[in-house]
Amino acid sequence: MAVEIKRQSPISFPGNPLKTELRGHWTVMQEYEAKGDAPRVIDLSHRIRWDLQDSDIARHRPGGVSIPDTPGRCVFENGVLINRMNRTQASIWHLSGEDLSIPDDPAFTDVTDATVFLALLGKEIFSITEKLTTLDFFDPLKEAPFLLQGPFSHVPCQMVILGNTPEKSAILFTCSRGYAQDMIAAVLEAGAEFELHPAGENAFSDWVNK
Amino acid sequence: MALTLTCPVCGKRNGYEFRYGGEEKGPRPDEAGITPRSWCEYVHMNQCVAGIQKEWWCHKDGCGVWFTTHRDTTCNLEVDKPEAQS
Amino acid sequence: MKRLEKLSTLRINPAKTLHFKYKNKNLKGLSGDTVATALYASGIRIFGRSLKYHRPRGLYSLDGESSNTCMQVNGIPNVCAETTLLADGMEVKAQNVAGSPETDLKGFMDKLDWAMPAGFYYRTLHKPARIWPIALKQVRKAAGLGKISAEFQMPGKYDEIYPKADVCVIGGGPAGMSAALAAAENGLRVILLETRPWLGGFFDYRTAQNGAGLSLSQSVRQAAEQLEQNSNVRIFTQTPVVGVYNNNLVTAFQKGCETDYFDERYLEIRATSVVVATGCSERPLLFENNERPGVMQIGCAHRLAQTYGLLPGKQAVFSIGHDLGLEAALDLFDLGLEVLCVADIREDGQDPALIEGLQQRNIPFLRGWVATRAHGNKTLHKVTLATIPGTLRKDFSCDLLVASAGMTPLTGPLSLAQAKLAFEPYTGFFIPRQLPAKIQVAGRLLGLNHPATIEASGRLAGTLAAGDCGVSVESRLKEAREKLNQLPGPDQGSKLVTAPVQGRKTFICFDEDTTVKNVKQALAKGFDATELIKRFTAAGTGPGQGGIPGHNLPLFVAQYHGDIKATAMPTTVRAPLVPTYIATYAGSNHDMCKRTPVHDSQKAAGGVIRRIGVWKRARYFSKDFSCRAEIENVRKNVGLLDASTLGKFRLWGPDALNALQRVYASDMSRITNGKVKYSAMCNDDACIIDDGVVVKRAENDYYFTTSTARAGATVEWIRYHTRYDGWNFHMVNLTDAFGVINMAGPNARKVLAKVTDADVSDDAFPYAAYREFMIKDTIPVRSMRLGFVGELSFELHVPSSYMQALWDLLTEAGKEFGIRHFGLEAQNVLRMEKAHLIIGSESEQRTTLHDVGLGFLWSRDKSEEKTVGAVALRQTENQEARLKLVGFKMEDPSRVPKDGSIIVDNRIRGYVCIARHSFALQEPVGLALVDAPLAGEGTRLQIYEDECNGQHLYATVVPTPFYDPEGKRIRM
Repeated sequence: MAVEIKRQSPISFPGNPLKTELRGHWTVMQEYEAKGDAPRVIDLSHRIRWDLQDSDIARHRPGGVSIPDTPGRCVFENGVLINRMNRTQASIWHLSGEDLSIPDDPAFTDVTDATVFLALLGKEIFSITEKLTTLDFFDPLKEAPFLLQGPFSHVPCQMVILGNTPEKSAILFTCSRGYAQDMIAAVLEAGAEFELHPAGENAFSDWVNK
Repeated sequence: MALTLTCPVCGKRNGYEFRYGGEEKGPRPDEAGITPRSWCEYVHMNQCVAGIQKEWWCHKDGCGVWFTTHRDTTCNLEVDKPEAQS
Repeated sequence: MKRLEKLSTLRINPAKTLHFKYKNKNLKGLSGDTVATALYASGIRIFGRSLKYHRPRGLYSLDGESSNTCMQVNGIPNVCAETTLLADGMEVKAQNVAGSPETDLKGFMDKLDWAMPAGFYYRTLHKPARIWPIALKQVRKAAGLGKISAEFQMPGKYDEIYPKADVCVIGGGPAGMSAALAAAENGLRVILLETRPWLGGFFDYRTAQNGAGLSLSQSVRQAAEQLEQNSNVRIFTQTPVVGVYNNNLVTAFQKGCETDYFDERYLEIRATSVVVATGCSERPLLFENNERPGVMQIGCAHRLAQTYGLLPGKQAVFSIGHDLGLEAALDLFDLGLEVLCVADIREDGQDPALIEGLQQRNIPFLRGWVATRAHGNKTLHKVTLATIPGTLRKDFSCDLLVASAGMTPLTGPLSLAQAKLAFEPYTGFFIPRQLPAKIQVAGRLLGLNHPATIEASGRLAGTLAAGDCGVSVESRLKEAREKLNQLPGPDQGSKLVTAPVQGRKTFICFDEDTTVKNVKQALAKGFDATELIKRFTAAGTGPGQGGIPGHNLPLFVAQYHGDIKATAMPTTVRAPLVPTYIATYAGSNHDMCKRTPVHDSQKAAGGVIRRIGVWKRARYFSKDFSCRAEIENVRKNVGLLDASTLGKFRLWGPDALNALQRVYASDMSRITNGKVKYSAMCNDDACIIDDGVVVKRAENDYYFTTSTARAGATVEWIRYHTRYDGWNFHMVNLTDAFGVINMAGPNARKVLAKVTDADVSDDAFPYAAYREFMIKDTIPVRSMRLGFVGELSFELHVPSSYMQALWDLLTEAGKEFGIRHFGLEAQNVLRMEKAHLIIGSESEQRTTLHDVGLGFLWSRDKSEEKTVGAVALRQTENQEARLKLVGFKMEDPSRVPKDGSIIVDNRIRGYVCIARHSFALQEPVGLALVDAPLAGEGTRLQIYEDECNGQHLYATVVPTPFYDPEGKRIRM
């Protein structure tokens, strides 16, 4: 029996997707049953993530995008989200379009498999997050998109607030891949009262395009 | 946790996010001629100030930076602005 | 009981009946009722029996200040009936009764009070010592109010929430509401916490006019509506605050209502500024039988009528010390209560309009009189009033005594926040004299009483809080201060502590049945400080958290010492301010742990999963916990172990080597390309904290592993020990990025060769080598030839998302070679046979690199690198009197000592780290840490095992490794 080589996301949602796509050994869940306005959680673990560290970080322009100059700031251009983490470090998340190949520079490390990558969409997501973290997603001094590095459901996470207005509420976050199952269980449990449900990658692309 | 600390990268955060790294004692002493006693003094002996002391903290659940800050040990409140390291 | 249904202040819905069970009877209440008011409406006057004396207890207040109305609700004991909203179908039971609350078989205890003086247990039950076990049983039987069974499962759903706020206002009365509004007007995020189910505080039920044509009730309800519309303000009702900590951390819990998703939820709020506007409760009046059912406080009687539509009695006497008592008397009279007499402790200072009201209604009014005794076996039927000196007396037959000495500020949150409180003689209050940073105070707890003053003080506090948050508020502040200054200040408080009574049954604390007499006994014993008296008499240590005695006890003690001003000190308040379920604190209780990429398939393959540190791992693959089949298969064929939990790191940059030299004991400059370097990390005491391998993937670019337990702290450790150096290097934690398969056994190479085109022969890929290659042209792996389990083995590091695929490929390819899983326990035995150590198993905090025989890893020639641990490694190198790691065999091969058994002669000489039956050697072997003099080969070790009944086990120190000492098998 030949074993088919597949890449696996660390999480599987309850219920079956309506539409999937095979992409570079990943089976990408593209669509789940739509459930109105209720908040959604999306698995983006197949999306390429890089770590960039350099004492001269400003010299890099991954995907043609400049690194934000202040820790905590993010830029989203050409489908690439760059989050400045500290003086020497940034994370680079490929959110849409073709995946770029990693620059031939030791400053970059592919960390796609190091984390689970999730998106939360919908106007009630901040009612869910306040059950799981003390982090402040509405800090008046911060303008979306911005990065928060801190505990979410007790696990250190990188959280990017793409939008924190009622019309445009979205969070992306990563945590260590090993925590994926417990993290998704915690998020779904906290979101149950708001009817949080899984959605496919398309829902995220639609949000980005809007 | 009631304690808050101000990470030079992430700002003021809950004390749970940090790991204590001891009092600020300066770099490791020169190893030449060091005696067990003087080494023990450096590694284990502390000032234990009842008042404001300079100390190391790591933002382990956040950006991971080690930094020094000043804390009043009598009321467990951070004082002044920390100095960014890393 | 018929309700007063027309009142505009009602908080019940007469149209919605709720059914509940009490004493096997089906009773009815209304939506909006608490359990206590519903019982009261059903004619219940005795709610339970007191702790020590089994005295009947009834409704006294409505905010849960005492255990009088603690009941069992839906199986949960000690539920406060006064603060728990009635729900349909509730089952309510009285507590601490033998029989029923009305006829309690233990009621005779009330006559035995002489036998139970203060400090009874401390003083009596220890002599002679042999009575203690008997007494213990009886005391245990009598202790506590509610009963809980061992099988009890806490019902309900509990949650937690961490809402954000700039300003947190504690107390949703008129002052708190004004403060919240003032802060919100400055654009700040405000959280308002209120214990009751609605805002409004002590205005909510009052029909007195506010001076602007509205009743206080109307005005405050309008303000509440306005506040609810304000998008900057978040209101949490039914949310008592339980803790206030440094840096304005406020904790509270919210009781859910029918539409809520939770039964209770824990709240934790970190606010920039906190406004405390908790208001007042009433100071209980001390007189004989002052807790007899039928005696209640002003607010209780007043709110029963105005909020719940329940006339609290038929004929009433009032013995009060505050204008609110006069107002209640007038109000209740107008609602149909027969008021026989109003006795006011105060000689003067009353609002003349209220006195005029009494005159108009022909209600007898006595100044300087006070209740001295309540009569009635189970409930009240007569009251004795007397002048304060006790010279004149009058009796009244009645079924209700409204009794209150005055007001007492609810300073709990302030005390918790370390505010300094001091006795203020004019108001008789403990007033904050020194507030911690960014805490503001408003309203009645400052002694303020006039509606407009209370609101203005709230406004000022809210504006100050906005200032704390960095908003420029100078002009608003000035305005608020001016407004407050034009309004009347605090009212004078009543001074009376006790009525003129002897105090045999005058209760200062209801929860613990502490009488004034008990307090006097404590004072006579020499306990002079209130804190000590509190402990000796237990006053204030019950579920009411000091709500009843909190103010009276220090006043009484100070009066005894003769100087209230100098000695009145409140006792220390501790969180939780209100009894809280442990379940509420536990909240949603997410247990976060890690799983490896093949966790699910391991489980499906029969893996017995155990939590080890942060990970869940497969420990066994059968019910045979000796793991014989797994072990023998590795020795004979080939096995697969999921070792994904190993710490894995990339470390690179110009100073990468410096960083490695700093933390590793060995000379890391000797690492050669394509080779694995095994080394260890020590702490500054030379104690071994980690071991692992390092490979060099490119110039200044390293990949290394750590033990599972150290993975989380490694980056932090390296950064810490290089923090002064300013070195330029970087680290990425790749622990979760790679899964690790350890394929071990004589057939391992044959399996690997089937799935890769790379040359994996011993010549091309020898022992201790490192190679990177592709599996099936698709999966990139990093591979090491290591020998932890003592066989030919390949450690394959594979991107986590490919791990399952590789695992399946190897399983498929290995079928013909007898491949099967092995778990952690099998690995544990296999590596023990090789005497390969696991940090934490064969080492503890005191174990140095030398002690475990790994001193050879230390390179003494790189002192300029200031290697962590090097100084102590040098100093301990020849130190005697240390525990050394040795191998041993058992004299009696039928017995394997338990891990952790101690090694003894006439004292403890060490301990067994691990011992297992070795299937390869066909006898038990083990590793132990023993005193250096016992470490010599051939030494006889005496092992003491738990419960061995003096029968020691004996072992002999032997050389290690036990299995394949030449190491031929790992080099196959």
